[in-house]
Amino acid sequence: MKRIRSTLLLAPAAALIFLFILLPYITVLVMSFRAPAEGQPYGEGFSVEGYAHFFAESYYATSLPQTLFLGVVTTLVCLILAYPVALHIAFASKRWRGLLYGIVLSPLLVGIVVRSYGWTILLGNSGVINSTLRNLGLIDRPLPLMYNDFGVILALAHVFLPFMVLPLLSSLQAMDPAVTQAARSLGASRFTIFRRVTFPVSMPGVQSGCILVFVLAISSYVTPALVGGMRVKTTTLLVVDALIDQFQWPFGSAMALILAVSAGIVVLIFARLTRMKWT
Amino acid sequence: MTEVSLRSLVKSYGRSTALKGISLNIGQGEFVSLLGPSGCGKSTTLKCIAGFEEVTEGKIFFDNTDISRKLPEDRDIGMVFQSYALFPHMTVAQNLAFGLQMRRVPKAEIATRVARAMDMVQLTQYAERFPKALSGGQQQRVALARALVIEPAILLLDEPLANLDAKLRDEMRGFIRDLQKRVGITTIYVTHDQGEAMTMSDRVVVMFDGEIAQAAPPEEVYNHPASERVARFVGNANILDLPVTAKDAAGSDLALPDGNRLRIDSPAPWANGRLRVMARPEQIGLTDPGAGHLGGQIAKRYFSGGHVEYHVDSDCGPLIVLGPTTQTVAEGANVGLALDPARLWPIPEPKGKTQ
Repeated sequence: MKRIRSTLLLAPAAALIFLFILLPYITVLVMSFRAPAEGQPYGEGFSVEGYAHFFAESYYATSLPQTLFLGVVTTLVCLILAYPVALHIAFASKRWRGLLYGIVLSPLLVGIVVRSYGWTILLGNSGVINSTLRNLGLIDRPLPLMYNDFGVILALAHVFLPFMVLPLLSSLQAMDPAVTQAARSLGASRFTIFRRVTFPVSMPGVQSGCILVFVLAISSYVTPALVGGMRVKTTTLLVVDALIDQFQWPFGSAMALILAVSAGIVVLIFARLTRMKWT
Repeated sequence: MTEVSLRSLVKSYGRSTALKGISLNIGQGEFVSLLGPSGCGKSTTLKCIAGFEEVTEGKIFFDNTDISRKLPEDRDIGMVFQSYALFPHMTVAQNLAFGLQMRRVPKAEIATRVARAMDMVQLTQYAERFPKALSGGQQQRVALARALVIEPAILLLDEPLANLDAKLRDEMRGFIRDLQKRVGITTIYVTHDQGEAMTMSDRVVVMFDGEIAQAAPPEEVYNHPASERVARFVGNANILDLPVTAKDAAGSDLALPDGNRLRIDSPAPWANGRLRVMARPEQIGLTDPGAGHLGGQIAKRYFSGGHVEYHVDSDCGPLIVLGPTTQTVAEGANVGLALDPARLWPIPEPKGKTQ
């Protein structure tokens, strides 16, 4: 009886997940196997045309490795940039910590569209950076800063940096400061302590930060669309294109699922490789 | 084995001073406890010895080497923390091997020394476990073994038993003490628990307000405290404030409230012509009313297994007396209290502003 009642506590959340996550996924799954049609979103009967089309056309198929590549590089850039920040904040005095926290979170206060436009103003061919360099006479032709992988990764890393800093910070702050002192008393130098103690102990934070940023990066639409200008072709952009512009619901659904499953596989492999037996 | 010498250590944090000139010599293989209430500077002293805090003034010597400016990793210390501070991502064996790897000990030797250390703390069967899978007592034994396996010059323990429950704490006391004697390592132990300090140490250093109040063997600190504050911090203390009526080379006569005299061996009375003498609760005997040196009435009675604790309203103010459980006295009863003049301890008169 008690068991049943405490299970009931899960009901509202379960209902929410079912209605807004499970049900739409099932709808997408069913849709992806619908037959395509001309002049309407989908036709009669079922087929695997959507999936076949994706893998047959290299225009579409190449978007998948491209998207995963952007996701992995963005994650790495975020990790490298976020770790020193998290380390610094974790050991900062209480007074500074609040301020630094605020600075880290501040990008989230500005909408994603505004931030991405901000990058186009900076990175464009006649943007702030290129025109400044040209006026100084340092370059003749504008540097290719956007409409390529570089610009998209830069903008994505900026957008998602807080999502890496926060999990890292919480795992570093959860660490007993006496652990590093113990390592020092045993004769370890500061670098050795980082390599053999601090970093491995912060692994849960590294893991969740990486997964978070990777998933957010490959599924992001606004930033690649604005900074990449459709010249950086991610699967997410193609999904939106298929669903809204080409009006091909089965094909769009199939692509969305292919991306979701691929991302899931990458995340599983990563979690497997970074598995911690000690937690 | 290493001798430790602290020479006039001063530690200031901005305007506040945590240590006001600590000087102490610790002999080879000696087990010394730093005992005091929180904020007395005992942990700061230990951190200065370990190198986690830099001394503002003064010097620390290990044998004849001044190590005051060395980094902790270069001091050759073994340290055990209150929180155990084991490496959570390493197994027991890996935790023990860490310090040896830092010292570039050959692999084969690491294996034998780690095995020996695990045997020493009776944890051989847990070699491949992670700390999380061990109980608090086991974790503390791993921490102890990890500190000792590197065969450091000195062993520092920072309230290592504070997180354990009472029963385990008693076991670990004996365990640490035996291990320390067997290894023969110079040991400094920080605690706020006077029982722990007394049972384990060769010498107890009582600290108040960043200063050493007394440094002496446990019996000496207990029976002959250097000040009233030490007397009250280390165990229960009954303090009798009595006028001195006569004084000669052999001792002093104290006037008891009933008009009788009590002769004790004593130095000169205090400037006010009185003496404050201390009697521990077990040093006062309960007798029939009218007998003994003082009269009193039992205010409270607490049974605690091995003995009975009486709170007595006496002619000299409230006293605590321990009695046997074989013959108890009821609350409210009138009693006589017998003092043992040979064991009464005249508390030295405080010098200057203190007290």
